[in-house]
Amino acid sequence: MPEQAPFTAYREPVRPEWLDYNGHLNDASYAIVLTRAHELLLDHLGLSAAYRESHQASMFTVEMHLRYVAEVSAGQTLTASTTVVEADHKRLRLHSELFADGVLAATGECLYLHVDTVAGRTAPLPEDRQAAVDALREAHAELPRPDHLGLGVGARP
Amino acid sequence: MSNQSGRITTPYEGRAAVWDDGAEIPAPLRLHETTAPPEWMDYNNHMSESCFLLAFGDSADAFFRFIGIDEAYRAAGHSLYTSQTHLHHRQEVSLGEPLVMTLQVLDHDRRRLHIYHEMRHGETDALIAMAEQLLAHVDIGAGRSSDMPEDLYEHIVAIRRAHAGLPQPAVVGHPIAIRHSR
Repeated sequence: MPEQAPFTAYREPVRPEWLDYNGHLNDASYAIVLTRAHELLLDHLGLSAAYRESHQASMFTVEMHLRYVAEVSAGQTLTASTTVVEADHKRLRLHSELFADGVLAATGECLYLHVDTVAGRTAPLPEDRQAAVDALREAHAELPRPDHLGLGVGARP
Repeated sequence: MSNQSGRITTPYEGRAAVWDDGAEIPAPLRLHETTAPPEWMDYNNHMSESCFLLAFGDSADAFFRFIGIDEAYRAAGHSLYTSQTHLHHRQEVSLGEPLVMTLQVLDHDRRRLHIYHEMRHGETDALIAMAEQLLAHVDIGAGRSSDMPEDLYEHIVAIRRAHAGLPQPAVVGHPIAIRHSR
């Protein structure tokens, strides 16, 4: 089966419990949306919640960088377009554009570490998961990278 | 956090901003502490990623009220919006653990603020998470950034002066990357 490039499985309406006093998506809720979009990609790789149960290992988020672009309101539909930026035997770096009704609302980047939850330290991915990660990484190798990738907070492209 | 009203609220909502010109400014600021509540736990009984941002958001809200931004200020047409947040996770948090937040003003100009948060364990002082944020002062009606009014700006200058002696946190300014060992 050909891989999705970029990965666009995520789609859901804004939930009322994600809104703030203004009726807009709260700062922290963008992280919820990003996490939910990335969870679908991790699930595609066989690395979601079920994997944690079956393998006593999981993808632990070590960093997340959100850039807020536009406000999001109740009634809008959220979608995401996700690229595997980099990956190796125990690390995975994802970048997503988050859209509300098709308009860019934020970008978010995450770095995940594969952790053995019993030993409490990083561990190499099992062979089949590594193959899944490699396949998606290769499918995304030629996708355009945004200008802000590799810039810290406050730096301008 | 989410409450019965069915939306996200902060513990400081409705509390009027109070600035005391004569008060000493702590470096860093310690304006918020909390205890990890059941609704922040994930299926594995650890705090969900987005709830770290809720905790830092509550600390930021306390900071806004400290410098002079409350509901009345927003109703008059201006606010501080977050333009970027970079979170770093060091440790997991379990139900009921005491969390203490600190906040440092790294830099600013007339319309932008660069701040740094730490979350530490209330008993062991272990570093749990950090957040670097860039905020912009905005004219809500016009939908664009605008200079801070003089009194608000002076409060920021005073805090920055009080924080000038703090060390620059190691993670500040660093982008996300897989760093390959050679």
